[in-house]
Amino acid sequence: MPTEAPTRREAPAGRETVRHDVPWNVVVWNDPITLMSYVVLVFRRLFGYDETTATKLMLQVHNEGKAIVASQPREQAEVTVTRLHAFGLQATLARG
Amino acid sequence: MAWVRRRLNRVELRLDRREREILLRVVDELRPGLGDDPRTRLRAYDDPNLDEEYQRYSRPEVEHVRAADIDAVRAALSGSDDRFRLSEEEALTWVRALNHLRLVAGARLGIDDDGWEERSDASMLEREEYAMLVTLGWVQENVVAALGS
Repeated sequence: MPTEAPTRREAPAGRETVRHDVPWNVVVWNDPITLMSYVVLVFRRLFGYDETTATKLMLQVHNEGKAIVASQPREQAEVTVTRLHAFGLQATLARG
Repeated sequence: MAWVRRRLNRVELRLDRREREILLRVVDELRPGLGDDPRTRLRAYDDPNLDEEYQRYSRPEVEHVRAADIDAVRAALSGSDDRFRLSEEEALTWVRALNHLRLVAGARLGIDDDGWEERSDASMLEREEYAMLVTLGWVQENVVAALGS
């Protein structure tokens, strides 16, 4: 058993501490060309969302300009964004 | 006359010779525009350094998928069949390809905001890209509906 309280170690100066456990948000942005029905289809196919959830997210994108459609570890989120880009949707990822 | 319907696990699309010719011309006209406009060059990160890395390593993959989608649709349109019986995967390829092409048409028309359909004036309605956008949209909407039914 430790007898002393653990001391906090500072990260070396100039090195960013990377938190691998913090999920990244996958954000889909509105664009005026892409059909709403197509966006719903993509959300259903890529994320397995039901019609109601996919439609709600699509409407959030349409009305508010963007929506967080998934929160995932960074590497996975980047793959998701790549897949969304392959479908032609405007998608970015940002630290959650 | 074109139609789209769901039949068992397939999406059936009928396009007569004239309709296929029109769509082929649209594909060939719009395809070179992919990647020309910022709206068709998709960013992944706000941070320019992270995005540069993404563009270097992941963008080629996205462009490969786009090119393959459009190649597949072009090849289908180049055939002599009026009727296409698409698997789910093939139908997804079609809707992706149609979307890529619509984004190019929209970029060429300078469409930046929602509501452009209502605001379109005579000068826009007369543009060839407008007719392309609407035509591609009709096919895409119907294939999407068939996929979802």
